[in-house]
Parts: sequence; structure tokens; C-alpha cells
Amino acid sequence: MSTEPALLSLTAVAQAIAQKRLSSREVTQSCLDRIAAWQPRLNAFMAIEAEAALAAADAADAALSKGKPRGPLHGVPLAHKDMYYDAGHVVTCGSNIRRDFVATTTSTALQRLKDAGTVRLGTLQMVEFAYGPTGHNSHYGAVHNPFALDHITGGSSSGSGSAVAARLTFAALGSDTGGSIRMPAHFCGVTGLKTTYGRISRAGAMPLSQSLDTVGPLARTSEDCALLIGLMAGTDPADPTAIAGPVPDYTAATRQSIEGLTIGVPTAFYVDDLDAEVARILDETLAVLKREGAHVVPVELPDQRQLTAACQLVLAVEAAAYHKRWLIERPADYGPQVLMRLQNGLAIPGVSYLEAMRWRGPALAAFNAAVADVDAVIAPVAPVPAPTIAESDVGNSPDAESVIQRLTRFTRPINYLGLPSLAIPAGFTSGGLPVGMQLIGRSFDEAMLLRIGAAFQRATDFHDRVPQ
Amino acid sequence: MTRPTPKEIKAMADVAGIAVDAEAATRIANSIGPAFEGFAPVAGTLPFDLEPATFLLIQSAKVSK
Repeated sequence: MSTEPALLSLTAVAQAIAQKRLSSREVTQSCLDRIAAWQPRLNAFMAIEAEAALAAADAADAALSKGKPRGPLHGVPLAHKDMYYDAGHVVTCGSNIRRDFVATTTSTALQRLKDAGTVRLGTLQMVEFAYGPTGHNSHYGAVHNPFALDHITGGSSSGSGSAVAARLTFAALGSDTGGSIRMPAHFCGVTGLKTTYGRISRAGAMPLSQSLDTVGPLARTSEDCALLIGLMAGTDPADPTAIAGPVPDYTAATRQSIEGLTIGVPTAFYVDDLDAEVARILDETLAVLKREGAHVVPVELPDQRQLTAACQLVLAVEAAAYHKRWLIERPADYGPQVLMRLQNGLAIPGVSYLEAMRWRGPALAAFNAAVADVDAVIAPVAPVPAPTIAESDVGNSPDAESVIQRLTRFTRPINYLGLPSLAIPAGFTSGGLPVGMQLIGRSFDEAMLLRIGAAFQRATDFHDRVPQ
Repeated sequence: MTRPTPKEIKAMADVAGIAVDAEAATRIANSIGPAFEGFAPVAGTLPFDLEPATFLLIQSAKVSK
């Protein structure tokens, strides 16, 4: 068994540092060694801040030796998607337009992780302005899948998926507006939590669509995601959409059995036109859940195609509105695909946008009614494993939107409904590509998803596989 | 609810203050068209008193099995 600290889970390394079995410097150096070895192949990092990270690690070790730990993640090195404002640091948002943008504030989610004691390793690559599901970036290059370098990572949290999978960081913040946490989790074989809309403050996170944007982690295990959401969730005066009320003990939930829980499998849409290996892995996942004591039952959901369409209308308009000034002043500074998709929002009448917004309540009520008898729903994250970088590099071609829509078919309905969804590594194709499944829960019931995910990960080892 | 034509898209973009050429308008029409078609069964059917904020009420309502 390897003794390389970077191969530990977030939870395990935090405990090892707290108990002084490992120093923050040893752990940080281990991550930096792996970054040096993998970055030329993956392009997962936007910026690597080795010297500053080691200095921060030394400071963390000094504080701990004086009996002054900062929090549950004291001395743990992390890197995040390069869209979380961190005062005094460049935040590119994966764009040319913000190549030199220096944030003057720090995002609430990031600040809460800093307050827990994390060490900054650098920043992670992403799709330009988080607007794309593949991981391509015409300004900074594609990010590569550590399990198969010529395949995509998925996006838009492309660097987060790649870096967590390759064990370059113990976890990473992503964001999910149409699937941007779950897609890279699925394609890269890591665990990704799309939180309920309103569960974690979005203050200081680059906006794409104010009605759909959610903040969440990618990590190796459900237990790690539970630790992170527990630190970040809760009300925030800087974001009125972040809900008040107590934050559940998510870590405690991961220790519970799933004996007697009921998990629904959709009878349509999420099981239609699946790649044969994705279908096989869905069946194998259901078998594991049954062995762990869950009841698996069919569930008939409302028409998910309408949700997907409504999501596209909302996202396109809100994104175009955020970007309108730059669309007028700097259109040539966007990549072709992102420009095309931003322009889509110009073609949607205000009445259509507002109809899509008005329908959200009834659509969520109908979904809730359909899943009233189950604790969670399980479905593939995407109908296919990771395509190659070459075959998915569609730019602004006539096929681009259909390729994008096919990849995000199973994730967008969940964003429109604002529901939580946990993507877990569920198997590998015969060619060695990871495949993930998503657990979909009730609003603000991330604890149930983490409970099921943790039980599945106690029974399987897909999340432990390290790319070579 | 029908998908807008490239000509209509060009006009809408002009009104928004953003010029798009004919090629871009065609691309946009092809790209966004399926969303209009997918939402067509819902468009024009919603009750008069339905507020967008209903979503937040449904979201925060206690739901359990």
C-alpha cells in the first residue's frame, strides 16, 4: 500500500494532520510532486503556487505546534475552480476577458474553507465562464482525463474533476448550473455534489445564471463531500438566496445504513438510449444497493424533456444578460462556442423566459409528487462515457448544440428543479473509462444522498481507483 | 410557441443592441430551436395567478416520504 500522502482522502488527511501523524508541509509537498508529474499531461491547473503553498503549510504546522488549529481542515492543501473570488488573486473564470482580473472580495464558500484552515495550492482550469459541458477551452486548452488522456474530463469544472481524480488536490470546489459538477465527476471517476439551489451561498462566485447556479464540491468520497458541505452551507448576508436555518450533520448521515430505504429508478428518459456499458453499470449499481438493504422500485417521472427545454431557456437568457456588455464591447475575446451560446439568449423573448420561470414551482411540485414514495432517485449522469477530445471538439459548428444537449440531457432537469444530486463513481467501461451515477433527492436533503453514496462506497472500490 | 426564424433573431438581437450577421442568426435559430419546441406544451398554458416565486414556496415546503 502506498504511503504517498496525496493518495489519502480529504477526511483521512485532515485527521492525519490534526493528530500530527503528517505535517501540512509533507502533505503539501506530496500534492506538489504529483502536480509536477501530471500537469504537463492534464492541464488541470490554471495556476500553481508552490512557494506560497509551502509557506502557508509551514505556518499551519507552526500554529498546530502551538496548539492553535484553525479548523477541521487545518493545513490541508486544496485548489478550486478558477471562478471563486479570492481577494488579491487573479480569477480568470477560464476566459480571455478576465485574464488579468484581480478579485477584491473573497467568495463566501471559499472563505469558509479558508476559515477551516485550508492551504491554497493554486487554481484549477475550467470551461470559459463555466458555459460548456466538455472541458474544452479555446484560450487555455482542453483539460485531459487522467484515466484516458485523449478523452474529455467533462465540464465546466474540468480542472476540478481532473485534479481530484489524479490526486493532485484532495477536493475542489466546482459549480453546477446545468451539470458542471456531475459531468466531470462522472467522466473522471470522482464524487461530486450538486447542492440544492440556496444551500450554499453564491456570493463571490462568478455568476452564469442566477436562478440555476449552485456551489458544490468534487472529492474522492461521499464522506469528503459531507465534510465540505457542512463547512460551507448556511445563511449568508451577502447572498439573500442562501437559506437560513440549521445545517444538518452531513457526516453523521454518511455513517448510517441504507437498510430499508427505497430508491426509485425512472421508467423512462434517464434509461432511454443509454450506451450499453452505462446501462450495464446502472444494473450493477442497483444490485449493490439491493445487497446493502435498499428497496429498488420503478418510478414514473413527469416529462423531463420539458424541464430540459425550460432549463435551456432560463440559462440562455440569464447568461446573455450577464454578458451583454462584453457581447457589445468585446465579442472577439470570447471563444467561438461560448460566444454562440451566449448569443442564443438574445433570441428568447422575455415572455418565454418568464413562462419558464413561472413554471418552476408547478414542475417541482409535480416531481415531488412523483417521488413521494421513494427516498431518492438514481439515474445515469450522462448516457455515454467520456468521448474523445477530438470527437467532442465541435466549436460553434451546426452540430455543437446537439452534442452539448446530448451530454447534459440527464443533468439539466435537476438544475431547473433546483434539486440536490450526488454523482458517485459506479464502475468502469471495458476500455477503462469511469462511469458515474447520480442520486437525486428532495430539496435540501443532501444528507440522504450522502448516506446512500457512502453506503455504496463502503461496498465498492470504484472511488479508490487511482489513474496510473 | 414556435422557434424564431433567423430573420426574427437578427431583429431581436438588433433591438438588444448586439449585431449578429446572417450566419450567426441561422446558427442561433438551429441552436435554440429545440428548446422552444420542448417547452411548447407548457407555453401559453399557465394559470393567471402563478408567480415565479411559487418555486421558493414549493422548495421550502416540508416533503417527506
